[in-house]
Amino acid sequence: MMPNQQRNRRQTATRLFAREFYESSLPDGGQGEFDPRFIVTKLGARVNRMFVCGVVERLERRDTERGPMFSGAVRDPTGLHLWSVGSFRPELHLEMEELVARFDDGDRFLMACIGKSNHYTTEDGGFRCRMQMEDYAIIDREVYATWLVETANHTMRRIDALGKAQSAETTDSNALRDAGVPGDLVDGLGLAMNHYGDWDAEGYKVGVLQALSAAEGRVISFEEHEASPPAPEETETENEDAAEESAESTPTSKGDLNIETVVLEIIAEHAGDEGIDYDSIMKHCAQRGLTDEDSIEDMIYSLRDDKCEIMEPRFGWFKPM
Amino acid sequence: MSNPEEFENEIRTVKESVPDADESAIAKEFARYKDEFLVPPKHALRSVIEHFQKEAGMEVSAPNTSTRRAAKSVERFSDLASDDTNVTIEVAVISYTPRMTMVRGEEKQTAFGWIEDNPWEEGGERTRWDFKDWGNHAENLSPGSVVRLEGVSVNEWNGKFSLNINQTSRVAVLRASERKVVMAPSEPISIERVLTMDGFATVVARVITAEQRTVNKKDGSGTIDLVKGRLADDTGTIGFACFGDFEHPVGALLKIESAAIRRFRNTPELNIGERTKVEIYHDEGFASLENLEASSVMQISELRDGATDVAITVQLTSWSSRKFTGKDGAEKTVWGGDAVDPTGVCRLTAWSELPIDEGSVPLAIRLSNVRVRSWQGTPDLTVDRIEQAEILDAIPWDVIDASTHSVEVDFSELLSGGSRSGVTSSATVISVQSGSGIIHRCPDCKKAMRDGACREHGPQAGIEDLRLRIILDDGQNNGALILGRESAEAFLGQTMADVQAATKDDGGEAFLADLRSRMLGRRHTFTGRAMIDPQGALLMADSFTLTDLNLEELANEVRERWGVFA
Repeated sequence: MMPNQQRNRRQTATRLFAREFYESSLPDGGQGEFDPRFIVTKLGARVNRMFVCGVVERLERRDTERGPMFSGAVRDPTGLHLWSVGSFRPELHLEMEELVARFDDGDRFLMACIGKSNHYTTEDGGFRCRMQMEDYAIIDREVYATWLVETANHTMRRIDALGKAQSAETTDSNALRDAGVPGDLVDGLGLAMNHYGDWDAEGYKVGVLQALSAAEGRVISFEEHEASPPAPEETETENEDAAEESAESTPTSKGDLNIETVVLEIIAEHAGDEGIDYDSIMKHCAQRGLTDEDSIEDMIYSLRDDKCEIMEPRFGWFKPM
Repeated sequence: MSNPEEFENEIRTVKESVPDADESAIAKEFARYKDEFLVPPKHALRSVIEHFQKEAGMEVSAPNTSTRRAAKSVERFSDLASDDTNVTIEVAVISYTPRMTMVRGEEKQTAFGWIEDNPWEEGGERTRWDFKDWGNHAENLSPGSVVRLEGVSVNEWNGKFSLNINQTSRVAVLRASERKVVMAPSEPISIERVLTMDGFATVVARVITAEQRTVNKKDGSGTIDLVKGRLADDTGTIGFACFGDFEHPVGALLKIESAAIRRFRNTPELNIGERTKVEIYHDEGFASLENLEASSVMQISELRDGATDVAITVQLTSWSSRKFTGKDGAEKTVWGGDAVDPTGVCRLTAWSELPIDEGSVPLAIRLSNVRVRSWQGTPDLTVDRIEQAEILDAIPWDVIDASTHSVEVDFSELLSGGSRSGVTSSATVISVQSGSGIIHRCPDCKKAMRDGACREHGPQAGIEDLRLRIILDDGQNNGALILGRESAEAFLGQTMADVQAATKDDGGEAFLADLRSRMLGRRHTFTGRAMIDPQGALLMADSFTLTDLNLEELANEVRERWGVFA
């Protein structure tokens, strides 16, 4: 029998520019079996589902033991949004093959991408964000410009809320509410302010200006934007390459290899037709002496997203591919 | 449009990496990025270089990797820097003060307190830091215990350091404590906030209605006496029920401490029970009964299923009666009509005859103490007794044509409110759900079947129908929009027969793919009704169209709203 299945509300798709997403380093949620997972950005957006747009900058097919997967990136005015299409989403593969062929022929196009936020930790402890693609469309300049304006609006709304939150006495949610922070941002901003500490959102504002100008047809880059370290231009490419590298190099790390073997064995041994649920994996790991839940969780995601050894047919349930 | 000269610098840079690349081809590529993809040449540089490197058969240069902080394990607070995250440290818990905060409409416990490092050395020197617990680790953070914190992060605020114990952090108890955590007592909060809460609340409010009632117990074992009524402060009103003595007259100002918030359908109510403390409260500045009564008059957009004691004025646009046979076999009559006000439309049902006939509409009617019941997901007004209704001499607004009346509502406002009819709103299509197109309905229950079988009535030949299921999302809220056959045909510009023909060969795959590429990421506008409950929003569209947007205006609005100009 299935456990009491609690139906969560569908997650709203956060609009955010690439830089806000890849500068995030705070995961939240996902404690219970069906609890959604979020990445909290420096502006307090709790990102689960996300809607991003941009011109395609990378697109490649990778063959894994479990079948093909695709990874790509789209560029917006602030940097690159990295995404991947897992081997467990075969319904998108046919179209992806076509897109890869177009891309390899030198064709470039604007994409609207909808997916779920995701993160993993690299070997050296670095935090990486990327998006698991759920759906996409090839769009025209008008639709892209509309997204730029909409995302500029949402970003400014968060910057404004951060300003209000910084004037609050504490990061307690009542204090934030009293300071005028909108209800949907209270929780995320409280987490964000405690995690990221004090910082200046001016760089994000420059991204907003750039997006609005582009939408209005004035395609220029702002010097401050270029100058503000780390220059997004380099950061994101590094991030991505580091991500890819780590995906390949993780197995060489001994500790991880051990966790990987154990997790894979547990899943292979105990997954029924439905798969095995997250909590049970943790319990089995504990029985075998693995108690670092964060590392195990990272390994599960790495196995799911990067190595594609396992799949998640239902939220929180895993089985071998 | 672009001219080649403006890319001069960038072209030179590309040539440095790919000397054989053709200059006009490079310029063309930069122009394309700028005009088609809105990417300035500086940002397109890397992509363009790669493009020409690839074309020339060159190895694409790989950039260096960056490093980020790894997990850090320390013994003393002094070893920590302000930007350390993923820290492991053993500490003694000195104090732990829980605090209830509202998180996404749910009461959630966070906490703060003191911790000290160097917990094991008897009489050793210790440093004390503040901490915040975001992950509800109360069980493991009892004052007096020694714990190992894993995955916590450092926070620096005005030179003062503290630790954040996050949801993902782990707290391992190394030495347990005997003391227990006590919940903090709650402060009075506004009714506006209570309406979005669950759990217990303390309010300071004035009684604006109170009525002794007797209700039958559900199991038929007798009756209960209770007092029902309504409380108000200057932020809103809320119903209350008291199961004991309640001798406070209308107009009394009360402090009600830790009353339980119960929800009847979509309407929260304060339950004054045995553990609730009620006392007279003195505040000269508190809003008067008259003001509170006047401001508690509602509009259609504010109606919520299950509400009672509603005061509202509406315009009736139709009126009729129908007879039916009740459970007891007696013939009964019920009256009803369509009601509108400037904020929306709803139905009005009356269980006793009102001095209205079909010829006298449109007319305005003022209702008091009526209740709200949901019919097909949207709230309707229910009048039980004739004295609850008063026909007005004139309609207090320009007469509204109910057949075309729809109110434009901001999408987030609509979805964070209650169920409503007669609304128009717009948001972006984020998903076209499978199950859009030709579906089969069960001949018995009319529900959509899956894989040739009805969930209740088993496998059978279904009746074909056309339906679209779309997710609309504005970045703050989302809802599922259903287009029935008629509105789907109008939106698609295709008849159901067209769609049947188009989906016959491949089971609708190409049809769905085409819909997705036409709709995803584009803003659309619908008119219809919205059924909102805690599980989400269901939108039933009478009409659905691509939104006509003026980009320049939109961009200007955003600049004005947030004051961003360059």
